[in-house]
Amino acid sequence: MVFQKLGLAVTFSPNAVSLLKTAKRLQNLFGSELLLIHAGGKSIETEKLMQDLLRQTDIEKNSYELIWQEGDPSKVIINACKARNVDLLIAGALEKESILKYYIGSVARNIMRESPCSILILTHTSTGEKPFKKFCASVQYNSLGEYAIRKAYEFAKLEKADEFVLIKEFEIPGLAITISDTGSMQETERKRAYWQREEELKLDVFAKELNLSGVELKTVCLYGKQGWVSSNYVRECGGDLLVVPSPQKKLKLFDRIFQHDIEFVFKQLPCALLIIREDHN
Amino acid sequence: MVLNSIEIVYFLLSIGIILFVGRGVGELLRKFKQPIIIGEILAGIILGPTIFGSIFKDLYDLLFNYSPTINFAFNGITELSLVLLLLVLGLEIDLSLALTQGKRASLVSILGVVFPFSIGFIVAYFFPLEMGIKDYAMRLPFSLFVGTALSITALPVAAKALMDLNIFKTEIGMLIITSAMFNDLIGWIVFSIIIGMLGYSTHSLELHWLLITLAVFVGVILLIGRKIINYVIPKLEKHASYPGGILNFIFVLGLFCAAFTEFIGVHAIFGAFIIGIAIGDSVHLKEDTREIVQQFVTNIFAPIFFVSIGLRVNFIENFNFLLVAAFLLMSVTGKMLGSLLGAKLGGIGRENSIIIGLGLNAHGAMEIILGTIALQNNLIQPKVFVALVIMALFTSITSAQLMNFFLKRSKQLLNFIGLLKPENIFFTNASSKQEVIKELCLSISNQYKLNSEKLISEVMAREELISTGLEKHLAIPHAKMNIQNPIVALGVHKNGIDFDSLDGLPAKIIVLLITPLNDPELQLRLLAEISTTLGDAERIGKLVELTDASEFITTLKQFS
Repeated sequence: MVFQKLGLAVTFSPNAVSLLKTAKRLQNLFGSELLLIHAGGKSIETEKLMQDLLRQTDIEKNSYELIWQEGDPSKVIINACKARNVDLLIAGALEKESILKYYIGSVARNIMRESPCSILILTHTSTGEKPFKKFCASVQYNSLGEYAIRKAYEFAKLEKADEFVLIKEFEIPGLAITISDTGSMQETERKRAYWQREEELKLDVFAKELNLSGVELKTVCLYGKQGWVSSNYVRECGGDLLVVPSPQKKLKLFDRIFQHDIEFVFKQLPCALLIIREDHN
Repeated sequence: MVLNSIEIVYFLLSIGIILFVGRGVGELLRKFKQPIIIGEILAGIILGPTIFGSIFKDLYDLLFNYSPTINFAFNGITELSLVLLLLVLGLEIDLSLALTQGKRASLVSILGVVFPFSIGFIVAYFFPLEMGIKDYAMRLPFSLFVGTALSITALPVAAKALMDLNIFKTEIGMLIITSAMFNDLIGWIVFSIIIGMLGYSTHSLELHWLLITLAVFVGVILLIGRKIINYVIPKLEKHASYPGGILNFIFVLGLFCAAFTEFIGVHAIFGAFIIGIAIGDSVHLKEDTREIVQQFVTNIFAPIFFVSIGLRVNFIENFNFLLVAAFLLMSVTGKMLGSLLGAKLGGIGRENSIIIGLGLNAHGAMEIILGTIALQNNLIQPKVFVALVIMALFTSITSAQLMNFFLKRSKQLLNFIGLLKPENIFFTNASSKQEVIKELCLSISNQYKLNSEKLISEVMAREELISTGLEKHLAIPHAKMNIQNPIVALGVHKNGIDFDSLDGLPAKIIVLLITPLNDPELQLRLLAEISTTLGDAERIGKLVELTDASEFITTLKQFS
């Protein structure tokens, strides 16, 4: 089973129905359990709103568990995932937050950064109601990177996706300054082209070693800042799900001010985002 | 003050000669794999009072000292050159990388600055006269200056050395570059404070106000200005002509910020450096743009500045052997000790730690720029300046060579052919894929004291996932084991053996590759290299005809 227990952060927002429909679709796809988490108090009014929501999505009563918990929304959701062994949290997010919210941290961005399990972020344009057709996965040459790709590939197979693109980004900081000592742009360009070929070869070997079959596999090597170039590529090539391994260290405000890697993706989501975390339970 | 016609002639002539000789000597040194700026500095020494000026004094005065007006104009150009040089250096500082570096890089960066700085500061503070202080009252800024001069790293020299040695993209290369960026960032901030302490500008603020203004300037530019620039650059690229619009934007911002820091009493170069960082951090700044700016400054302005250094000072008159030796000793000791300790604490091996120390010990242009400003501001004597220039030249010239010496013992340059030893080449008659794998595994497990059963089972387990029989008679069975260095063994089977290859052809060359468990990228790199080198039927055809292992390696080397 790709994911055994799905969690959905339910809010009474305009896209709540869409999120519920996607959660239901994925629950059927994975054959998993579904936990609905509402970060808020239970009252007659809110209960009625919730029932309306559930009715609109035709979700069967015994196919989910619903928990109500008051408190800081992101903490409530994260704690519920930990306590109930959720292995894929589904949540909605704006593609781009206002500057202030981005730095302070919205609920969606906070759970993206701190979720204890894998997380699927859906946006207005990538609701996930229909199967994802073009998966784009950011490659890291480590065990988590390999795990993330295998997991996402299983997901892609279930979705009967058209294409699974492996994206490897690489950058050589300070490369342009070598021109000041060689005086030759060609030499620097030649070197970059050489490294590009080397990276492409490595990625091809990596793809072969994964030994994946069932969905067409494509490889792409991009030169530039990690996170930024893959986001742009996914946007341009019309990818509808970007898969990334979870960051290896906790992201803080400092990482938002001096953005790097996945923070570029968080700043402006190019499409739906799947962050894969290993050993989540 | 206006240049008359004959002054314009001499002014243009002198600039032309500087560019011509600078490039000439630079190109000559390039043939010997040395940085061009070293050639430019040597060109200045040749043209200046040290050689040409002492032999042909009249001609030298005519060309480079014709009138105070020309000198005035020339100083203006060298000042502009300095500002632009620091602007382009700033462009290449990857702020996020320098500030969010991992533990290893942080240790190397911080200790690589702290050690040489402390040594320089302590020695200069307690022995200021011996170290060539100009005014004893300036003991504190002088000591700070010596510490900074010893701790700064020339990013361009380090980057060039890494490129020449082909280790730019390795872990060590990235560590050196990140640490060099960090060193520069800290070095220039400290230096700007020293300049502020000297109160050299007529507009200079009280020191505490200057520090506050400086902190606000750096904060505003790096936190807010950086974001605004990142927002503006794509708009400019969309609406203005390329590259004219963006180049204009970069230079205008550079000059404005340089003017601001000069105004508050810190040297103009600091403003250019900080705004360079903010511009360079933009994800929208194209690589092409960076390279165009580099080309423009490097080929026109940098030679004027570097050649002019030799025109100002007589290197023979001001040469003081003890001072040169003291600076060199402090530099090498401080940088090497700091980097070695940082690398050791970060879990980096001895050879690699030495390579890092040597890479960061190249002081190059950065130190010469520091020295020039200190000399202009009467902080140091010409003999100290000469010692600094010689130290910068010496460390820049030797760093790549010394790094290369230690690289040969390090893992960084590991490649397939380098790893393949004649004793690990076997001419086999095995009858099956399993048999040849077993043969190769047994031979290397004896030699490298590996558990042969475990090795065979790991390789076979990998083989069961998907066959490693590639196309064109090549097979690369492989596995990861708990070892320090990768191991390669090669089997030659003249008739070929069934390896469940992709094209159905029998494998004639079977390369067994065992790599460390903790370095998956190394395995990919070596697999890619082996398949590129041997993935050719004609090459395999030639190799299987050979019967001698040494000859086999010689032939392989011809293919790479």
